[in-house]
Amino acid sequence: MAFHKVNVTINGEMEQVVVPSNMTLMRMLREILAFTGTKNGCSAGECGACTVLLNGEPVNSCMVLAVECDGTEIITVEGLAGDKQLDPIQEAMIQEGGVQCGFCTPGILISSYALLKRNPNPSEDEIREALVGNLCRCTGYVRIIESVKEAAKRS
Amino acid sequence: MSLTRSTLWVGQSLPRVDAPGKVTGETQYSGDLSMPGMLQMKILFAGRPHARVVKIDTTQAEAAPGVVAIFTAKDVPVNEYGLQWNDQPVLCGRGQGEKGSRVAPDVVRFIGDQVAIVVAETEKAAAHARDLIHVEYEELPAVFDPLAAMQPGAPLVHPELGDTNICVHDRLRKGDVEAGFAKAEVIVESEYFTPVQEHAYLQPEAGLAYIDEEGRVTIKAGGQWTHTDRAQIAHALGVSDEEVRVIYPAIGGAFGGREDMSVQIVLALAAWRLDQLGVRRPVKIVWSRKESIIGHCKRHPMRLRAKWGASKDGKLVAAETEIIADGGAYMYTSNKVLGNTTITSTGPYFIPNLKTDVYGVYTNNIPSAAFRGFGAPQALFMAEMQMDKLAEKLGLDTVEMRRRNALRDGDTLGVGTPVPGPVSILHCIEAAAQHAGWEKEPDGWRNVKRENVQPANLKRGRGFACGFKNVGFSFGYKENSWARVELHGDEEIEGVVAAHAGAEVGQGTHTVMVQMVAEAVGVPLEKVTLMTSDSAGMGNPGSASASRMTLMAGNALKGAAEAALAKWEAEERPAIAEYTYRAPETTPFDKESGYSTPNFAYAYVAQAVELEVDTETGFIKILRVVSADDVGQAINPALVEGQIEGGVVQAQGYALMENFITRDGYVLTDQLSTYLIPTILDIPDAVDSVIVEVPSPIGPWGARGLGELPFLPLAAAIAAAVHDATGVWFDELPLTPERVLRGLGKI
Ligand code: FES
Ligand code: FES
Repeated sequence: MAFHKVNVTINGEMEQVVVPSNMTLMRMLREILAFTGTKNGCSAGECGACTVLLNGEPVNSCMVLAVECDGTEIITVEGLAGDKQLDPIQEAMIQEGGVQCGFCTPGILISSYALLKRNPNPSEDEIREALVGNLCRCTGYVRIIESVKEAAKRS
Repeated sequence: MSLTRSTLWVGQSLPRVDAPGKVTGETQYSGDLSMPGMLQMKILFAGRPHARVVKIDTTQAEAAPGVVAIFTAKDVPVNEYGLQWNDQPVLCGRGQGEKGSRVAPDVVRFIGDQVAIVVAETEKAAAHARDLIHVEYEELPAVFDPLAAMQPGAPLVHPELGDTNICVHDRLRKGDVEAGFAKAEVIVESEYFTPVQEHAYLQPEAGLAYIDEEGRVTIKAGGQWTHTDRAQIAHALGVSDEEVRVIYPAIGGAFGGREDMSVQIVLALAAWRLDQLGVRRPVKIVWSRKESIIGHCKRHPMRLRAKWGASKDGKLVAAETEIIADGGAYMYTSNKVLGNTTITSTGPYFIPNLKTDVYGVYTNNIPSAAFRGFGAPQALFMAEMQMDKLAEKLGLDTVEMRRRNALRDGDTLGVGTPVPGPVSILHCIEAAAQHAGWEKEPDGWRNVKRENVQPANLKRGRGFACGFKNVGFSFGYKENSWARVELHGDEEIEGVVAAHAGAEVGQGTHTVMVQMVAEAVGVPLEKVTLMTSDSAGMGNPGSASASRMTLMAGNALKGAAEAALAKWEAEERPAIAEYTYRAPETTPFDKESGYSTPNFAYAYVAQAVELEVDTETGFIKILRVVSADDVGQAINPALVEGQIEGGVVQAQGYALMENFITRDGYVLTDQLSTYLIPTILDIPDAVDSVIVEVPSPIGPWGARGLGELPFLPLAAAIAAAVHDATGVWFDELPLTPERVLRGLGKI
């Protein structure tokens, strides 16, 4: 197995990591860098729990190889909050009850954050469209949609 | 000291106490845990439905790089476990742990039975070595259809337990059904089929085991009941409960699917055996989605036959019911689930004459067990469909039909004893009907006609259904829950530390507990610290199931708070009190008649659904669900609404899309791309929660229970709405587009 040096910026910090060729970005984040906020719900691109921002775009990190990320900028759920200040989408998820077991939450936050960045005033249909890749088994999504609307109001 | 005052914290929609950690990514679930020196584990699953393990050869695997140890049946001191009966081997094979065991430990009875565990330096090394284990099997004849499994001469799943695969048979005999049917104006006979459902919680099973500072085998893995996890682990290891410690990290959903063991016993076994071999290192395992789907229980699929009769004025006069449930390979909680199916098979209605037989059957399928609703959704699908069909024959409105038969205080249930009151199903029916647009006219409720939509292939319909279910454990179980409350400070109470081991599986119970403690002590919320889910130093909380946690934990915490306050008054500092709440006694079914007082409390729900059927594609779009749930007293209304929305969408998945396919015991839908659960695009346009509050006399501040209610009647309400839209009765779930088109005669 060949190993590769990967330079990435994660949540604003430069990191240099040595990874095997077949390691996914999800495993690199969780197992090498201990960013366990990024969840593994399927390792197959089916649930969205592992969603992170790769150069500003939401991706399923279980479907991206770590080596592909050389020179990129990654944001995980741990990077959403500023210094002691939660991002509006995080605050809205707390206030509106968008969280139950919370396992889908990091992925949902990242997808919603990306949506609000490119479209600060999304319609309900646009919210649903943006979150179609993020499964949640607990909430029925109703309060997740409310959270995104609320965050749009706040930011 | 009296605690009666208007409430400070009970009834407030406060944000969850665990939400901040969950939105920042700080919260650790079992798969996120790590410890220095940690090893990784993989399980060798049998991967076949019925076979005898003849020989296990681990030589090659043991020599593989990175392998630390391989454990098989030979390493299991008492090779049996089970929540109700010990009928499942921990690791299939011959070994030391057979003495006194009732089950043959070397027999594999479904594909997810476990055969060996490999502990290695890395996950990859463990997986590699697992594939080098050679197991010789003798294939055994298998049985997958519960009806076939009931026949004499069918292959036996547990020959050592008797000469039949029928493992449960509950009966209700009340009145005289023949005489009852003789009074009937209309009789409806139908056969229904309800499917398997997979929990599909987002977090697959995972865990970490180590020997703690006091030498206890410690397991951190999500579950629903710390103390029964501990008891099952201790039994298999042949040690005392005190030598085992179970701690719950954050849990990524459960819905009943974490009530039985998955990784816990084998993890404990690995850490414990390694320690005996002189290797004191933590061991971790994370299941893949596929392992999760084959490795844990499912909702019971059932065939339900019903013959119900009603008089001219719409009163039920008799019901004869036969239900057959596939229990899968092991008992798990089938006996309790089916007891609940038996009770709820009447719907929340008074039926004077009854003959009910409910069977659970062993097969070589994945075991069936707890899943939100615990046997009631299947029974209610049948009962509510029967009600609709009877109403149609009588020309009665469906709501009116229900109103006429709804249980009232003092009515006897199918078990022959009065239902514990107050019975609030009528409140729920009226609330849901009103909210959904039914109108109360002098001669009863009426579904007001609505405008037709274009184009013609889209047909709209409305449906209505009810449900009820026990809160808390049943059938003579000594239902109890423990709590401790400590009051710290000098002049005034500066801090409250409450301990309760009840599992937070996402439902919000920790938040509700904090609210109830603050209420009971009379302090601001910020002063309360909650110690959670650690079997060491905490008493038995009981399970996070049966919609029981608010009622049971609430009473326990309230009792402990009151006792601590009394000590505080007596100048004790700190004032510490423990309290175990004991629920009213219940009794098991009489074997012949079912006569019993099986439950001490019930909760009620009614739902209305409006939907649109595309008769060209067979696709069903849910426009609106109204769910009126009697929770007694909402401790936190926002959390109640969250439970209702989540329960409704899960039930919508059950009714419309979740299609678990197996062939000869093998699962064909073992991924989330083949077993489809609702996405954000599938949900109803609107879910309207109507919180009904008819206080329970034994509930803390009147609270009943909630978690399962919103799931119960939805499938029937949807099927009724589809009938309203298309004129066709669909008696089998799920209502996939294909099934709808077939029913409409389009394919
Ligand atoms: S873990 Fe990546 S999509 Fe599920
Ligand atoms: S909150 Fe549990 S999966 Fe979304």
